[in-house]
Amino acid sequence: MSFTSPALHIDRISVVGEEAEFVKMFDPNPVGAAPALPERIDVTALPIFPFSYVPGPPPAINPNPRANPVPEVLEALGFGSPATAHTLNLDLLNGLDIPTWDGRLLPLHFMTIRDKDFGAGGTYPGPTVRVPRGVVFHCDMAGKGPPPHTIHWHGVEPTPINDGVGHCSMELGKTTYQFQPNFMGSYFYHCHRNTMQHFEFGLFGFLIVEPPDAYFSSIASVAGNGRVTLNSTPVGASSDGRFRIAANILTLPADIQAKFATGFVPGDPTYGVAGPGDVGVNDPHAFTVPYDVEAIWVADDRDSTWSDLASDAFQTFPIHGTIPGVNDNFQANAKLPPLPFPQVPFFAFNDFHADYWFITGVPVPAHLGGTAQIPPNITIPAASNSGKSGTQVSVNAQVGQTILLRCLDAAYNNLRITLPVDAVIIAWDGRPLGVPPCGSYNHAFVVPKNTPMTISVARRFDALIKAEAPTPSNTFAKIEFMETRGNTVTATALVPFTII
Amino acid sequence: MEGINRRDFLKYGLGGAAVLVVGSGLPWITENKAHAGIRVQTLNFTITDALKDMATHNTINSAQCYFWIFKEANLPAECPGPHIFATEGDTIELVVTNALDEPHAFFIPGMVNTGPIAPGATVRKFFTAGNGGTYLYFDNLNQPVNRVMGLHGAFIVMPKAPAQGHKFTPYSEPTPLVQKLFDDFGTPGRAPWPSLGSRWFPGLAWEEGDPATNTYPFRTYIWVLHQASPNLFALVGDFTPGQDYPAAQFVQRFLHDPFDSAKPTTNAIPQYFTISGQSGHFSHNSPYFCPNQRVGEPVIIRLLNAGLWSHSMHIHANHQYITYVNGVVMENPIWVDVFTFLPMTVVDYTCPYMRPPSIPNVRGIGRADLGLPAGVSGGRTWPPNEELTTFIPGPAPLGVTPFQVVGNLVDGAGNPLGAQLSPLCYPMHDHSEPSQTAQGGNYNMGLISGINFIGDRNTPGAMNFPNQPLFHGPGPGSPFGVNGVFPAAVPPPWFSK
Repeated sequence: MSFTSPALHIDRISVVGEEAEFVKMFDPNPVGAAPALPERIDVTALPIFPFSYVPGPPPAINPNPRANPVPEVLEALGFGSPATAHTLNLDLLNGLDIPTWDGRLLPLHFMTIRDKDFGAGGTYPGPTVRVPRGVVFHCDMAGKGPPPHTIHWHGVEPTPINDGVGHCSMELGKTTYQFQPNFMGSYFYHCHRNTMQHFEFGLFGFLIVEPPDAYFSSIASVAGNGRVTLNSTPVGASSDGRFRIAANILTLPADIQAKFATGFVPGDPTYGVAGPGDVGVNDPHAFTVPYDVEAIWVADDRDSTWSDLASDAFQTFPIHGTIPGVNDNFQANAKLPPLPFPQVPFFAFNDFHADYWFITGVPVPAHLGGTAQIPPNITIPAASNSGKSGTQVSVNAQVGQTILLRCLDAAYNNLRITLPVDAVIIAWDGRPLGVPPCGSYNHAFVVPKNTPMTISVARRFDALIKAEAPTPSNTFAKIEFMETRGNTVTATALVPFTII
Repeated sequence: MEGINRRDFLKYGLGGAAVLVVGSGLPWITENKAHAGIRVQTLNFTITDALKDMATHNTINSAQCYFWIFKEANLPAECPGPHIFATEGDTIELVVTNALDEPHAFFIPGMVNTGPIAPGATVRKFFTAGNGGTYLYFDNLNQPVNRVMGLHGAFIVMPKAPAQGHKFTPYSEPTPLVQKLFDDFGTPGRAPWPSLGSRWFPGLAWEEGDPATNTYPFRTYIWVLHQASPNLFALVGDFTPGQDYPAAQFVQRFLHDPFDSAKPTTNAIPQYFTISGQSGHFSHNSPYFCPNQRVGEPVIIRLLNAGLWSHSMHIHANHQYITYVNGVVMENPIWVDVFTFLPMTVVDYTCPYMRPPSIPNVRGIGRADLGLPAGVSGGRTWPPNEELTTFIPGPAPLGVTPFQVVGNLVDGAGNPLGAQLSPLCYPMHDHSEPSQTAQGGNYNMGLISGINFIGDRNTPGAMNFPNQPLFHGPGPGSPFGVNGVFPAAVPPPWFSK
């Protein structure tokens, strides 16, 4: 018994009778006219409107369906104009070379997403997309470059044609995505074609589902031409002027509840954000907590070898044969790297080695095995943050404030995150813990300070932190990048965490 | 108990989805044809080896990998070994023969350990199936070499009965919140559970089937995750007979062999990433691997990472409740779209099979409300009739255009071989994306399966969506997709025997 004389042979399964499905997995070739978009809602005919809060259940919340007001709010902020009302307008694969922090001879090559209407993006990561819960969301997306790019709205669960998975459920290079974001929380979006390459090269951004009255609450009036005038409510805040996040604090111990009780709005204990008896929709603030400071950590890593040798977006695409399952070319598109690299065709997307690390686009100035801090006082510009101001990367809060931390692992490493303060985990993957009905099987929980938490690629959590005392100088949160192959730490990022 | 006959099983039961049922015939088994694999009283294995043609293997591209395997007496050779179902408390007879050149073993933590079996020797043991749950069986010698070489599989223990007044869970001792979740699955107020069920998870209970729709009870899928290195496994296979390959060297090469950009590569890291032995199309477009259910038909997906890489398993279309991790029923089952699988991690995803909640509807709070008026046909966003019909090749409604992919392929008679653009199919994949490859590239030929919606129990008139013959059982003669007609449901092939 040995490799050279094995006892048995296991055949590959035949694809006879399912050739088309087999080929669609790796070499889809759309034919026919570009299809009409199914089940499309004309969002340009849907309303947006000023919204004022009338507390006390059961308030008649905004009529449905509603359109997404964010493009009009961005227009009022002076960032540009929406090409189509209530519709986001993105395009994919804008190449971008970013020099490394250590002055490597070659920059890292990124593929980026750009907001065509408001000029944001073309950056790494892409613009942060925010949308109020319950509106009908539309995004026009055009792809450039080799066969159609897509956007998958990770954690959002629409019909397949809107799910944006190339090779699987749709194969459209230019389309309008439609969904209704129905759970508040933290998500992201990314290209889902040749994904091991395109996601690694930067085709992604953060996606946040906000309370149902966010953005609407910042509108003073809507003119006949659709342009809006803003009021004094901060963009992104709810109608009480506070920024809010979905959470149920009632399942926490009393002393923890007390820290976040001010401004918390309970909802129906059985039906959650629906009204009593599952009728209608509850108070828009039901099961939300106000926060003062928002921080977004998108931990990512890059492999400079992939960047150098494999930046062709076609890299390693197979080509089906005349007899699928028999003579498909699985060695196609082994592109040669640019000179002066040795002219060896690249075929190694199974072999990832992080050597550059980022927190929300900010380089971590560490080499393999090293530890380094990112600068203090980093914030995300409103233009690439759906108009919201003040969102932080490095945390800067005052005693008494409530900090909301949204964290995403966008690396091909696992993350081990250690916070210097107690935190309450209030949601995973855009699903608030303990919020009825679907969250009534779980509950928020406390992670004591200095307790490491390990998460893997694409996982998100939302954490609430009460700033109770000033932090000593040089306090950091620690984000360790752990190899998926052997779990060793490839680099450690220190994120300034300052409470004064 | 009506088992599948052996001839039919060999005909359809290829592809790593082989199921073995051992022990007593309690209700979960006798009423559950979906699990009616070959029924045995004894687990009878030979530890041997095999050369396997992987997903990208064909006449112009060699893609083979050598494995050590648990060859069951009744079943075709496959890596991993068969999915084994047993019932809590059963006494199980185990007979293992070692046909390889070095000592091997069969091990289930806390249940059975044969200890080293010498080359050529046979060991017979009896053991008792433990608590209801998901377990990995494997060879625990020369760890992790023997396990990673292919000597592993899934061992599922079902509880004998639910707690009094409650519905079945997959566990003997469910926590209160896990019990509540399973009690809430199903339309409320129906016999025999007038006080159980919920308005937000209407449909069937997990333990409940529906013969009228070919829906079987205790709907279960098993995804054994593995990484295969053809270069390293060949070295191990040809190592000095009778000697163990050095484990530290194996791990070092499997995880950290120097980078090599070329193909075929000489390095020893994995090149194939499999779910229960299959990749790409073979694990995605297969009813053995990919759940094919209706809204309102909850399922359990049991995932076991037998390899040495960690994975991050992301399912589209529904968030999953994490009900079980490494032998522990969760006190706090979080609801996620992706979860962490370090080596040897075993996790149960409990999938409510709710209507994908981001489809626009009246209230916009994630419930299965009436869809919004939409499209050119005067319908609503749910059921998505335009999406289902527009994109099947064929006559289209007024105003919409037929569209298909892979339209330049023809069959032997010159007829186009089109694939529907958008059946209600979604992927499930590892988000740690280097595993989405085969032989270093070829995106989508790696660690991927899916989740499909074939109807909606809760929307009148939408029990069965129109669909095209997407799925075939492996091999000719499969009952799937014949005559271009998609069956009313996607039962396992032995169901309609």
